[in-house]
Amino acid sequence: MANKFEKMKITLNQVMPIPLASMQHGEHSIWGKDIELLHGNKIMLNASSGKGKSTFIHTILGVRKDYTGSVTFDSADISQLNTSDWTNIRQQKISAIFQDLQLFPSITVKENLLLKNNLTQTFSTDEIFGFLDCLGISDKWEQQCGLLSMGQQQRVAIVRALCQPFDWLLMDEPFSHLDDENTQRCLKLIIERCAELKSGFVLTSLGDDHGIQCDQTLML
Amino acid sequence: MIQKLLFRNQDRKQLIIAMLGAFMGITFLIASVHYLIRLNEFGQGSEILGPNTIIVQKKVTNSSSLALTKTDFSEREIEKMEKLPFIEKVKPVVSNNFDVSFETADPLVPRFRSDVFIQSVDPTFLDVHSNKWHWKEGDSYVPIIMPRDFLVMLNTFMSASNIPQISDDLAMDIRFKFTVSNQTKKVWVDARIIGFTNEVSSILVPESFMTYGNEQFSLGAEKKITQLMISGKENEFGKVEALLKEKGLESKNAQMVAGRLKSVIGTLLLVVMGISVIAVFLSGLVLIQYMQLLMSKNEYEVRTLLRIGYAPKILIHTFFMYFVKIFGIIAALGLSSFFILKYFLDEMFTTGGIYLNTTVSIATFIVLAMVYLFFAIASFQSASKGIHRHF
Repeated sequence: MANKFEKMKITLNQVMPIPLASMQHGEHSIWGKDIELLHGNKIMLNASSGKGKSTFIHTILGVRKDYTGSVTFDSADISQLNTSDWTNIRQQKISAIFQDLQLFPSITVKENLLLKNNLTQTFSTDEIFGFLDCLGISDKWEQQCGLLSMGQQQRVAIVRALCQPFDWLLMDEPFSHLDDENTQRCLKLIIERCAELKSGFVLTSLGDDHGIQCDQTLML
Repeated sequence: MIQKLLFRNQDRKQLIIAMLGAFMGITFLIASVHYLIRLNEFGQGSEILGPNTIIVQKKVTNSSSLALTKTDFSEREIEKMEKLPFIEKVKPVVSNNFDVSFETADPLVPRFRSDVFIQSVDPTFLDVHSNKWHWKEGDSYVPIIMPRDFLVMLNTFMSASNIPQISDDLAMDIRFKFTVSNQTKKVWVDARIIGFTNEVSSILVPESFMTYGNEQFSLGAEKKITQLMISGKENEFGKVEALLKEKGLESKNAQMVAGRLKSVIGTLLLVVMGISVIAVFLSGLVLIQYMQLLMSKNEYEVRTLLRIGYAPKILIHTFFMYFVKIFGIIAALGLSSFFILKYFLDEMFTTGGIYLNTTVSIATFIVLAMVYLFFAIASFQSASKGIHRHF
């Protein structure tokens, strides 16, 4: 499975989430169309609330399966992938920052990050601590995650997503609780990491481009 | 770290109650299996008759003394008894219909002679090697099973004659002989003791020897069947006893007491075993249910771990190992308390004159291993189902 998606291209073939099927979609909406996400591209996905940004992220991550059409990674239909394939993809190929962050509030920041990093041993503990330092929250290292502000938690979730190798980084409104200065710090870290891995990303947003030069802009 | 995440903030009350139930269930289950096996073995080997076997005859009453009722068994009576579900087999005890006397024939032992009464029974009732228990005309000696009372009598005679008494083993080395005769002819046949019995009052000989004697030296009148050998099924001795009462039959009291004791304790142990199986099953069920509760309490954690790349098998393994370790602790505690219980029970049995084999039977460990395996499979399946539900 490690080599099955060497340079992973994601294709959506007339994908329509069933809960959104009854809605009227705009002319430029990707729902129900054939879309290719080319490996290494920086993709911005703009849409207003309720148009299916999180559904898009969850569908590609294999969390949601309630759609018509098909999604393929290279030539493999993701509906045919087994548990072991998905585990491998989530460890090595696609990383995600969820809109609701999905951190573990009862354990510390350090434990949250190591829990992810231990899967692939991508970074040393010092390197992870360094990422937090870059984002200005290294003093929260031993603090229980649930006690942090939303902005601080969002930065922890960003660092967690970087603690693995990936071809694609899926980000679901990752800066919604951050000011511009912190957003730019986070973006810098993300872009550096993507460049290092020659990876692409999909960034969903309510319309703000955060000053990023994107290769592709998609609408929902 | 996953353990810290998944097993924190548990409500351990239910877990402790289930553990306690499983612990008690396992203790009593293995104890009842052990003692059931040892009880069934009790008495085997020490007696020449097979287990649950008794010799019965009709009670002699005033009317039978006056020949108003019969004391012998008809073919039909035997057949009817054989058909009863709690009876394993019924065979007549054949007695000699010829004159026979028994005497020592060894130069090392003073001469002792007595007219005796010999009997033969179906060999399947006897716990002796078949190669030892056979005779044909021309053989150098007849194997015999001697009533232990006869040896006591012989030793009394030895003691009175100022001669050293003889043990069981020595008696088996002494040469004896039978004098078989009727009004017209007489033969001498050497005999050798191959075993002793407390249950039968006469000398037992192989059926072939009895047939030979009865054919060659018959005293004329047909010999009636006055005694039967009955073998009852395991733990159903109470029914055999009831049958004896109903049919007006009697048996040696010792045989009855041993059979009754085994039957009663055996039934009690079966009841304890049944309750223990239910207790183990129910507490196992509560433990599995507790695992499911834990998984559903940690639904968010499980789902998130899967989303960030944890393989289901890692999470299944985490839950599985946690509960297998818990059950391992229960099994170890159960086994330890069984040994403590066994120490006191063995003491009690010994004090009561019941000398059971005190070695722990292998079946005890097999049962424990089976219960453990059953729980391990059930918890693995439950963990697997619970985790895959979130994928």
